[in-house]
Amino acid sequence: MDFILDYITVTTFWTILFIVHALLAVALIGALTHQAVAVLAPVRQATAAGGFVTRFRSVSGPGYATAVCVLWVLTFIFGGWIYTKYRIYVRIPIEQQGFWKTQGIFELKEHLATIGLGLLPLYWYLWKNARETAYDSVRKWLTVLLAVICWYAFLVGHILNNVRGFGS
Amino acid sequence: MSTATASPSAAAPKASLAASTRFGTFALVFGISVAILYVICDMSALPMFTYHPGTDRLEWGYAPARRDEGPAMYWYGWIAASILGGFVLGLAAAMLPEKIGRRIPLALSWIVPIALLPVLIYSLKFYWRW
Repeated sequence: MDFILDYITVTTFWTILFIVHALLAVALIGALTHQAVAVLAPVRQATAAGGFVTRFRSVSGPGYATAVCVLWVLTFIFGGWIYTKYRIYVRIPIEQQGFWKTQGIFELKEHLATIGLGLLPLYWYLWKNARETAYDSVRKWLTVLLAVICWYAFLVGHILNNVRGFGS
Repeated sequence: MSTATASPSAAAPKASLAASTRFGTFALVFGISVAILYVICDMSALPMFTYHPGTDRLEWGYAPARRDEGPAMYWYGWIAASILGGFVLGLAAAMLPEKIGRRIPLALSWIVPIALLPVLIYSLKFYWRW
């Protein structure tokens, strides 16, 4: 990877990785939110005349399952990659400035993201068997749980980047 | 699995993972185990390895930060340990007779992570200071 640094600065390189991580997270949060709303407030009858909210929740959940898994894994990999630089160049200054709670909520983010990662095979299995009514309840609550984790991680990532982002 | 009547859906081809109840059992036990093992690894300081980002060095197991070499990172080691442990337990569960596997409540997949949340928050008590 060192040849890349012949063309861009180290800070630019890590900033690009962070932006890719953030963009993947945007796609993930969009997909998971659609799916979670669709299972919490399903549209009983398909209607073309529905408004924005109806259309938002009328997506076909199974079609999102594989994409959500891939996006979660990719977001996790990029997050884990930039975590090495974060540990030295972001976390230490945050600790020196005494932003302990900010640091704590970020630590919780990495814990929850890992637990979510472990739940992906079951999540995928349940959605690939979407016609199995016996799975309806667990499919719903697992999807909602993953969506809540994703929202938490997304917002905390934003907060931390506002406190001290790469290159700041 | 708690669903004794589980059968492959029409959308899932017979040979695919999605149609395999054994894979369902594996996935269920894997998910629950990863969550529990991760919390145990975190609270007991049991990473599979320690990464020192300042010097780009890996050490097996838990290793404290070295003087003048920057911090030590355990998160990767916790992930590796919990995923490996979850994989082994999931595989073992998948090899059980199907009637036993079906008895594992599916709801544990979302109840266990929620139940572990207070434990995780407590494990971070160092940071909740005013």
